[in-house]
Amino acid sequence: MSKEATGGLATAEKYYQDYGARVRELKRQGKKIIGYLCAYVPLEIITAAGFMPFRIKGNVNEPITKADTQMETIVCPLVRSCFDLSLKGDYDFLNGLVIPHACDSICRTYDIWKYTLGLPYSHIINMPHGTDDSSLKFFKELLNTFRKSLGKFAGEEISDDSLAQTVKAYNDNRAKVRELLELRRLEPPQISGTEITKALVAAMSIPVEESISLLNSIIGEVKQKTGVPTKKSARIMVVGAQVDDAAFIKLIEDTGAWIVVDDLCPGTREYWSDVDVTDDPIDGLAERYLRKIKCGRTYREQKGTYAEYLEDRFGHIGQFVKDFRVDGVILYIYKYCDPFGFEVPTLKSYLQSLETPALYLEDQYSMPTIARLRTRIQAFLEMLG
Amino acid sequence: MTEEKKPEERKKRRTATEAAAKVASISRAMISDALRAREEGKKTAYTFIYCCYDEIVRTMDIVPIWTENFAGICGAKRDAQRFLERAEAQNLSRSLCTYALCGLGFDAWREEIGQMPPDAPWGGQPKPDMMLSSGQIICDPRSKWYQAAQHYMPDVPVYNIGLPIIPYEADYDYQEVAGYYVRYIVEQLRGLVEFLEKHTGRKMDWDRLSEVVYLGDRTWNMVIEAYELRRAIPCPMGTGDAMNTMVPLTFMMGTQQAYDFFKDLYDELQRKIANKEGVVLDEKYRLLWGGGLPAWFALTDFNYFESKGAVFPAETTYRLVEPIYRLDLPKVSDPIEHLAWRWVKWSTYWYDKARKRPGASPEVERLINYIEEYNIDGVVMHEAFSCRSWHVGLIWQLNQLKKIYRDIPTLILESDIIDINSYNEVDTRARIDAFIDTLESVKR
Amino acid sequence: MAEYFAGIDIGSTMTKVVIVNEAVVASVIVATGPEHRKLANRVMEEALAIAGLDFDKITYVVATGYGRINVPFADRQLTEISCHARGVSSLLPTVRTVIDIGGQDCKGIKLHNGQVVDFVMNDKCAAGTGRFLEVIAEGLGIRLEEMGELSLIAKNEVSISSTCTVFAEQEVVTKLAEGVPVANLVTGVHKAIAARIYGMVSRLKIEPDVAITGGGARNIGLVRALEPRLGYPTMIPDEPLLTGAIGAALLGKDAVRNASENNLPLARIRHPLQELTFFT
Repeated sequence: MSKEATGGLATAEKYYQDYGARVRELKRQGKKIIGYLCAYVPLEIITAAGFMPFRIKGNVNEPITKADTQMETIVCPLVRSCFDLSLKGDYDFLNGLVIPHACDSICRTYDIWKYTLGLPYSHIINMPHGTDDSSLKFFKELLNTFRKSLGKFAGEEISDDSLAQTVKAYNDNRAKVRELLELRRLEPPQISGTEITKALVAAMSIPVEESISLLNSIIGEVKQKTGVPTKKSARIMVVGAQVDDAAFIKLIEDTGAWIVVDDLCPGTREYWSDVDVTDDPIDGLAERYLRKIKCGRTYREQKGTYAEYLEDRFGHIGQFVKDFRVDGVILYIYKYCDPFGFEVPTLKSYLQSLETPALYLEDQYSMPTIARLRTRIQAFLEMLG
Repeated sequence: MTEEKKPEERKKRRTATEAAAKVASISRAMISDALRAREEGKKTAYTFIYCCYDEIVRTMDIVPIWTENFAGICGAKRDAQRFLERAEAQNLSRSLCTYALCGLGFDAWREEIGQMPPDAPWGGQPKPDMMLSSGQIICDPRSKWYQAAQHYMPDVPVYNIGLPIIPYEADYDYQEVAGYYVRYIVEQLRGLVEFLEKHTGRKMDWDRLSEVVYLGDRTWNMVIEAYELRRAIPCPMGTGDAMNTMVPLTFMMGTQQAYDFFKDLYDELQRKIANKEGVVLDEKYRLLWGGGLPAWFALTDFNYFESKGAVFPAETTYRLVEPIYRLDLPKVSDPIEHLAWRWVKWSTYWYDKARKRPGASPEVERLINYIEEYNIDGVVMHEAFSCRSWHVGLIWQLNQLKKIYRDIPTLILESDIIDINSYNEVDTRARIDAFIDTLESVKR
Repeated sequence: MAEYFAGIDIGSTMTKVVIVNEAVVASVIVATGPEHRKLANRVMEEALAIAGLDFDKITYVVATGYGRINVPFADRQLTEISCHARGVSSLLPTVRTVIDIGGQDCKGIKLHNGQVVDFVMNDKCAAGTGRFLEVIAEGLGIRLEEMGELSLIAKNEVSISSTCTVFAEQEVVTKLAEGVPVANLVTGVHKAIAARIYGMVSRLKIEPDVAITGGGARNIGLVRALEPRLGYPTMIPDEPLLTGAIGAALLGKDAVRNASENNLPLARIRHPLQELTFFT
């Protein structure tokens, strides 16, 4: 008897399909919603100010139309899709927009977002690329500027106490996600990549406390599941930027593989490290967001030999490959993506040094282009034997 | 009958000024300097333009290898394809910055065979002693390119300098944060000096740096004083020439040669104005090049515009300086602090003005000011497909310009900075023709 | 008792069926056309007729190619990558690099000891595929099949700078009007495609022996343009269009043998051989 009709997975499916449903409810109850792009925005600050942070996502099934009248097509297709949906009213509940200095596609389109959507509040956190001490110091100043500005919009300063609370809440949420992701360490994995993506995407759109309980109920439900797959499939890791749509993940799994671990957003990149509890909460936040998150967007300075440098940049991937017994890695990179695109040769070479086969796929974040990847994925899986 | 013309036989591009005509040999000399540096016992560094460190590098007698320049040369000589292909063979996406792809393809090839690739343009680009990239400033490739290049040269150290630009925001004024931006940039520049000292084995001569920075400042003044002469009617120099004169501006800042170059240009333009010598005999339309790097392999398109009586008295591209006396810089004795303030004040130059005009962003404000100062009839922009930093937001800028200022004729050309496959001459000329028709009908 | 295995390769342009036991006993090549789903079983029946076999004598059927999903009578579907690799390694065992130039895509495959270790595909862009040649042939007013021989008589080479199919066609037509000899243009076009194909394949480390398969292998001009870029002479199987189908059949044979040797169950999802209807 399948136990799927109610519970965590069904709720996740609901919030995944009707993305934004929960924030619409909150808005009706008087809550103000701050939209954001990318995992580098400190949600702790937004939540401490009394706002609901909402991750803007795209939709691979919606062809980009309106966005093209304002935004050049040489922009990352994910960002274009997000903007397109915004113009089409999918996110008309937003009161504000916050973006980090993540990448050119996000930063250079900021003016277009700002002036076109005309939201009451907008702010760019001008994060440095470097991780050295002066860059960390600078980042703290930027976070304080943001804190002040958001406090002004909220009509009340954001206190250290409220920040300490949200730091704890988001850390708890991350720990819950890690618990969920651990379920794929097993053979066979107890939850599929598709279910994980939907769960994490759903979690992005609900308040952090509700995210924790949703993930909890999913974990409970999954642990009770009977009838595990008997046919052994290849254990695959997906590496890429933002994958906020399950279509690609499902394609891989339908072709006959299990996705057991990732280096994605949402995914381990966002949830693997916590904010340290510090006297000044800004210190802990700056340290985590600038230094602990491992993303091609951040320039990590070389300390030591070149081999040590690669280990610093990609060692976490090597560790996942080992811990989750990964058979092959799929690099899923969007066209027009500089932070990830430039790293492909180096990353492929690193994976080769670990004797892990890697497939590099370039995609344009749309259902038609995703479907065309099927043959490559299948050939890769056949190659893995 | 007619066979394919070899690339060298194509018509040579006409420049309006002698100054611009000098640039090819200046450019060539720069490449030779880089190739000779090792035998002369000098250190070399891969460098980017517009990175605040020109004077620092010059003071330490490091020979800069301007990788964007080399890629531009390959593009202008229409010999970039084989390097782009090499980069693609490395699994670098063709949608990335084509300067970087050209450079990376070249470097990968050179390192693989242990010598310059065959028939390398102008002798090629030598392996450097160090690479100086920059974060945060205009584009991602500026911190990713050299990091990727290190894969082919793992023994070459990289320093990545943080050079933020204060955002133009509604919720705070740039003056409120300038203090900590300057402090950060100062620390980053000091870190750069330490890095250079370590890898050259020499100490920075701070007095000399002050002198070189002062020379740089005076060159900043000279550039704009010369460029502003182009307000004259008829206009004595167009953007086609400015795409040449950008060479001493971006690649030689801090040298006497650069200062002298712009002094000579100033004098030459004065002479032309006195003789009422314009770029074209019959000047019909004055255009603003409002954004976008040029298609380096198609600079002859400027001659095509000229053949229709259209000149470009002004451009935003590569006009990366303002007279120091307009920047309202605080008086500081430390040249590093001065450089940081110069950077911050230049990059926020249009903010105060933009605040006074509803709906304006600094970029749009700048366009409006040039339109008025230079008597502009229409605005042209170029969308280069591989460059997100300079080419995203152009559609929006033109829309906003028309919305808050006036419905001025605009044209967007499309291709790339060096990938000639993206360029269609027939299509481009057709668009230009249509634009000229629009300008003509607006005039009447 | 002889066991028979069948491979069906449904490409975007051509559909190929092969029946093997110890050797190839039947092969059929027909144009795919728009109705490939209906065509598959007819082509299979044609091959069976040549071999003198009933369908139930076929132990295992593997489908590959662009249309492989729509073959209900197949036991399994595998990608062209695996199938071409298997086909080439049985026909030309020393080959380590395979370049397949098809109607609408082209692929590069690296083999070590007959196993696929790396591959690249280009199915996004017409340049570098048979389609490019088709478009150019039409623009020049010649037949696709003539192009190979025509390029051999070219006196001079012409350089086509556009690698985009649409721009290249414009360029070729313009030059033709200027009086450039057709043979010279065809050579230039072959060179342009060779550059594109080389660009894709060079993502793999090209090692000898190198084989070319697919329709493109039958174009001597294209092969001659490609060899200098590859830096190695190329081997071409006798029937370059059939390597995928042969490989598919052999992979079926391998699967059956592997299952019986290791006492494993072998999934057979085969439906009866009948025309695909709307409701299937």
